Amino acid sequence: MKEVINIKNISKYFGKFKALDSVNLNVLKGQKVVICGPSGSGKSTLVRCINRLESHDEGEINVLGHSLTDDRACLESIKSKVSMVFQQFNLFPHLTVIENLTLGPIKALGVSKKEAKERALYFLDRVKIPEQAYKKPNLLSGGQQQRVAIARALCLEPEIMLFDEPTSALDPEMIAEVLEVILDLANDGMTMVVVTHEMGFAKKAADKIIFMDDGKILEENIPSIFFKNPKTNRLKKFLDQVLNY
Amino acid sequence: MKSFKYILVLFFLASLASCSSSSGNWGWYVIDPTTKSGLANIKFLIGGFGATILLSIIAAFISIILGLVVALPGFSNNFFLRSLNRIYVEFIRAIPLLPMLFWVFYGLPVIFQSLGLKIEIDAFWGAVITLAISDSAFTAEIYRAGIQSISRGQREAAQTIGLSQFQAMRYIIFPQALRRILPPLANQFIYIVKMSAFASVIGMQELTRRANEIVVTEYRPLEIYTLLILEYLVLVLLISFAVRWLEKKLGSNESNSN
Repeated sequence: MKEVINIKNISKYFGKFKALDSVNLNVLKGQKVVICGPSGSGKSTLVRCINRLESHDEGEINVLGHSLTDDRACLESIKSKVSMVFQQFNLFPHLTVIENLTLGPIKALGVSKKEAKERALYFLDRVKIPEQAYKKPNLLSGGQQQRVAIARALCLEPEIMLFDEPTSALDPEMIAEVLEVILDLANDGMTMVVVTHEMGFAKKAADKIIFMDDGKILEENIPSIFFKNPKTNRLKKFLDQVLNY
Repeated sequence: MKSFKYILVLFFLASLASCSSSSGNWGWYVIDPTTKSGLANIKFLIGGFGATILLSIIAAFISIILGLVVALPGFSNNFFLRSLNRIYVEFIRAIPLLPMLFWVFYGLPVIFQSLGLKIEIDAFWGAVITLAISDSAFTAEIYRAGIQSISRGQREAAQTIGLSQFQAMRYIIFPQALRRILPPLANQFIYIVKMSAFASVIGMQELTRRANEIVVTEYRPLEIYTLLILEYLVLVLLISFAVRWLEKKLGSNESNSN
């Protein structure tokens, strides 16, 4: 299997605070990696480093064969190949759903308007909300908004999808509909890195689960072992809290 | 709110009218349209609308563009460009309008002359330049506040769908900021209309100048200045209605998520 993300020994500081501490991570093509851990453990920062929303201070990140630097050409080459879904959806409120979906392909990828629209309608169908295409995002429920955000990311036909706590801002009833869509994508072979607290989802979808605390990766394992035989006390405690409530 | 404004105006007019009939202090005859001289006076006074409106519109138009030109470097990563923005805003904002008007009208031609340039500044353009530059510092700050008010998530989302910084500004940030910028920008326009009265001191024939001239000949300051204030009131109310309408059309009061 081809390696699509290779993170070597990266560290990241916010002022004096060490948000990431010598993190190593490999992701193969088609692999689904779930990252969990307590708040402030660096999970989001790690994911945001993969698409250069944050820059790392030490170490090296290689994405799809490109080493990430501030160089324009480098950002240009990974742009739109790594797509992201945010906790807060971040849909563009002044545009309709379909405009949200077609803007990237038309402006960034140079796709024709007609093709971008066809693509958008296809992916809206895929996330099961074709009927909302011409509404403004604020008329949609949280779950629907997040599914639009997923469709928007898919419209760029990325090779890697990053999810940063995609269900954390949702009502409990809407979590399932969003997870279902993500699971569907996972089964389709998309490479994904998902930061989430949904352990049920992790069990079903993950090839590999990573537990982070204090900016470090404490454990990394396949789901069956991860949940049954945690090596560290920190993970035992975390799982006790997450699974029992 | 709307009807409140009308009631206020009516009440004001009614009280003025009653003053004129019950006591001899008021001399509305100076602007009585049924008399020949009164009609001539009214025509002369109202004739100032054109100049005031033209002056304000041109100054506001320049200010809106100049303000954006001044605001954009403020978002740069380059320290030098950011400093340019700060220096311009702080410096221009500190100059009172009247001294600046004198400087432009009386001082600037001297500079032009010493440079051998044959550029003359008449009262109209002197007032336009002064109002536009003075106002642009405020307009620039309005743009800055509006653009900064758009959440970071919007910029990040724009980046993750592959938009360049310029495209993100053009398609995502600015259109959203515009809805928040419009109301304060309209306020600035009202401010310009009112400040255009200063142009009277350099001899421009706008509303205030014309009022002054009639006051001098008729010696009826109370009536003439009352009318003058009402003239500005009408102008400003018209602008605020136009802005309300525009806001509605742009959906400024629509609540935006994020």
